[in-house]
Amino acid sequence: MTNSPATTSPDAGPPGLGSEAEGTPARSGLALVLGALPWLVAAGLVGAAGYLGGYLATIVAFALIYAVFVTGLNIFMGFTAQVSFGHNAFAAIGGYTSAVLTTTYEWPPLAAFAAGLAGSLALAGLIGWPTLRLKGHYLSMGTLAIGLIVYEIAVQWESVTQGYLGISGIPSLGIGRFEATGDRQILAVLTAIVLLGAFVVARMRRSRFGRALSAVAGSEEAARALGIDVARYKLASFLLSAGFASLAGTLFVHVVGYVSPEVFGLHMVILAFTMLYVGGLGTVVGPIIGALVISLLPETFRGFRDYQDLGYGAALILLLIYAPRGMAGLIDLAAGRKAS
Amino acid sequence: MDTRDQIKTALAALLLSAGFASPATAADGVYKIGISAGLTGYAATVDRAWRDGVQIAAEAVNARGGVLGRKLEVVVEDNRSEPQEAVTVYRKMISSDQVDIFISGCVSAGNFAAAPMVVKAEIPMMLCSILPQQPAQVKWAFSTLPPAGFEVEKRFEYLKEQTDIRKVGVLHDPTPYALLQKGVAEKVAAKYGIEVVAVEAYKQDDADLSVQLGKMQAAGAGAVLKIGLGGTTLTAAKNLKQLGSKMLLLTSLEDLAVFRPVAEVLGEQFFFVASPSQVYETLPEGALKTEIGKFLVPWRAKFADRDPNWASRGWDGVMLAVAAIEKGKSASGPAVRDAIEAITGWQGTTGTYDFGPEQHQGITKNPFVIATIAGGKIKIVK
Amino acid sequence: MAPDPHAPLLQVRGLTARYGHVRALEATDLTVDRGELVAILGPNGAGKSTLLRAILGLVANTGEVRSEGVVLPRADPVAVASAGIVLVPEGRGIFGPMTVAENLRLGAYRVRDRREVERRLARTFELFPRLSERLGQTAGSMSGGEQQMVAIGRALMADPKVLLLDEPSLGLAPRVTAEILETLRRLNQSGLSVVLVEQKAPLALELAVRVHLLSLGRTVAVISPDQVKSHDELARYYFA
Repeated sequence: MTNSPATTSPDAGPPGLGSEAEGTPARSGLALVLGALPWLVAAGLVGAAGYLGGYLATIVAFALIYAVFVTGLNIFMGFTAQVSFGHNAFAAIGGYTSAVLTTTYEWPPLAAFAAGLAGSLALAGLIGWPTLRLKGHYLSMGTLAIGLIVYEIAVQWESVTQGYLGISGIPSLGIGRFEATGDRQILAVLTAIVLLGAFVVARMRRSRFGRALSAVAGSEEAARALGIDVARYKLASFLLSAGFASLAGTLFVHVVGYVSPEVFGLHMVILAFTMLYVGGLGTVVGPIIGALVISLLPETFRGFRDYQDLGYGAALILLLIYAPRGMAGLIDLAAGRKAS
Repeated sequence: MDTRDQIKTALAALLLSAGFASPATAADGVYKIGISAGLTGYAATVDRAWRDGVQIAAEAVNARGGVLGRKLEVVVEDNRSEPQEAVTVYRKMISSDQVDIFISGCVSAGNFAAAPMVVKAEIPMMLCSILPQQPAQVKWAFSTLPPAGFEVEKRFEYLKEQTDIRKVGVLHDPTPYALLQKGVAEKVAAKYGIEVVAVEAYKQDDADLSVQLGKMQAAGAGAVLKIGLGGTTLTAAKNLKQLGSKMLLLTSLEDLAVFRPVAEVLGEQFFFVASPSQVYETLPEGALKTEIGKFLVPWRAKFADRDPNWASRGWDGVMLAVAAIEKGKSASGPAVRDAIEAITGWQGTTGTYDFGPEQHQGITKNPFVIATIAGGKIKIVK
Repeated sequence: MAPDPHAPLLQVRGLTARYGHVRALEATDLTVDRGELVAILGPNGAGKSTLLRAILGLVANTGEVRSEGVVLPRADPVAVASAGIVLVPEGRGIFGPMTVAENLRLGAYRVRDRREVERRLARTFELFPRLSERLGQTAGSMSGGEQQMVAIGRALMADPKVLLLDEPSLGLAPRVTAEILETLRRLNQSGLSVVLVEQKAPLALELAVRVHLLSLGRTVAVISPDQVKSHDELARYYFA
């Protein structure tokens, strides 16, 4: 490779996980510390959950599953600047496919996950292909519809989903002979998956594909003028994020061992949006820190009893006032990276 | 925000999280009852009543000195009527509060989702909801709920014995309990010489049921068995009136407060399934009435004329647990589980409980009555 | 149809564009040959930007756009960009949150050969040395003139045959405008064909071989720069 100036540009270097602020060449030590801070906090929380176990382990496990879901949603909403109200549909397809295939048909979890993924991608393609070509809110409306429709199917298709009764006895996460059963094993598996997801997203972001998504997010018209096939990239982004959602659904049913329609209801979308905005839209660490904070926040107010929701709501409002670009954005700001 | 603030925030978060796992201080001398209840969300009405019933029972037991010298303590957590939230609160009550028994509310999905965890911890569950599906989970779970068929059978009995209606329509919502009842209705109708001529579903937030009711009318139904709770009962009543239909409306067990406006609309066309505690005043003297009386005194002192139906089952749940502890002379999870299985012929406020190794749904004899509201007064007709 | 090396690089015939019911461009013709710089002048709302956007296929249009004799598909910006017709949009259209390097690389987005991308980057830095010092800076935090350099540099990364520039002087100080136009002169002299849209630009006239005067969506005249200068009224309008 020639030693042109660009090869020394920071974005050509190998992407690391903590690469939120790596765009600045003269990166101060402070910025480095601050950039690593959210990762350290996340690691501390997950480590504490694994060490202390108990109730905290359950909350953190759910948070990590949500981190997978929100990481996917972030690809579509953060990096591509689109809106989807219906990603719970893909989680439901992933979750229910895993649940049905591993219980009724005794498939191994990995094969059932693959089948659920295929189903989610097929639906995402079906809804995304026609609507992503249109400008405006057609896709958002479309996603809202599939979220509701898939929920209804989960309720009504009793012969397969058992409706509101739900499916129980779903086996634990496992590959071959290994089966994650205890808190620590489950947390370790989920942490590995979350880190892998973050790594994929960090790599993607620095790739040609990721730059094209950023261009679409920045200005569809300017992207088009550069010869970027906007509709194709929006679709690819939609499919990718649907894949993450499907994985999250699968993880949920194996970790809990039970699934019913309410698990993938509209509240999942609301929760994921909160996590995404609190964590930081369009950042790699944002979805992870957002998922952890939003999962733990209500628990810190549980002692307030009837005022729990009030405390949680107030904390949320404060966060949005003082960190409008999310917690990851706060770190950027503190690190002195110029905001655009 | 400067670095020092950041670190402080991080530390605070860590400390808070550490607080999660610290188990409650040693619980010697206290027997802890955990309730996972949908205090908010769709189950709120039922589960708040259930919780209040459990609490009143615990106070009554404590007033007479507790059980085996231990006072009862009730821990309530809101599961928001969501299974995921239920898993979290069950886990909290197992590991942080270290409860000895669960006497949990009617969010069946929440109880099912948490069941594997509860079984692993060897904690018995006395539920408001139906039982889980897995045999390993049923082993630790008991239900105070009368079998789904009882509400349906009572209505068929009434139609057979006191009317000449032989064709009915079944109108149900999609909840598990309603689906079970619908299945029973289809299966047992013939036994009463009755034909189910139409089965129609609706959703809890439907604002109009005239299409479903019209179909039943057209199919020649003389009565509608409505299965499901909430405001839709009044909707059905209004629709029947609008259609000018002469079909009788026989609804499931429900908060009596819901029925008064329905009775005003439909008058003599309206009948409902009632539990003994709802018709206390009209009950004949006997063991059942005595038991209900024990519950109704503190209940009415605290809540006046609030409907006692669900609360009375919560009361039964506590009293069953206490009976089991006294019988087995041990409060340990496995001992209590075994002792509950051995309870038979036990008089509760909802009926007689007969548990057994294969019988974890204790009510085996139909305790219900069919009632109507005439001149503002509740009257038993069957 | 194979490209004809003797046909004009860009030939527009009867291009008409609408925004809803409003006709913004009416039956416009435009021809640009190799090495030519054609200026499009006209007041605000004359349809100058619409003309460029219609050529790219960014607005619904009827008419014909040919490149080296080949008719380009209508409303397909990807095909037009592939044919080497590249737009620097009005307001620059740079991606503010991205770094200068990321913006530039997006210009060569269709090139998969990394060494070719590096070659083009090096060439862009020769033209705009200042950009090579600012690679890691977010584009949105730069001055207007620098942002314009990023926009032009990004377009050059696509190795265009025809560069379409929509009011590059907008919002810039006269000295910066002069600098930008000087760069354009060098590019043009090295053989790049350019279509330059401006509202008022005396300097543009010095570079142009032809001037299209647009008014209310119509081409009112195609004349030489000298004719503009010698025409009293036009001269007053464009040089005032």
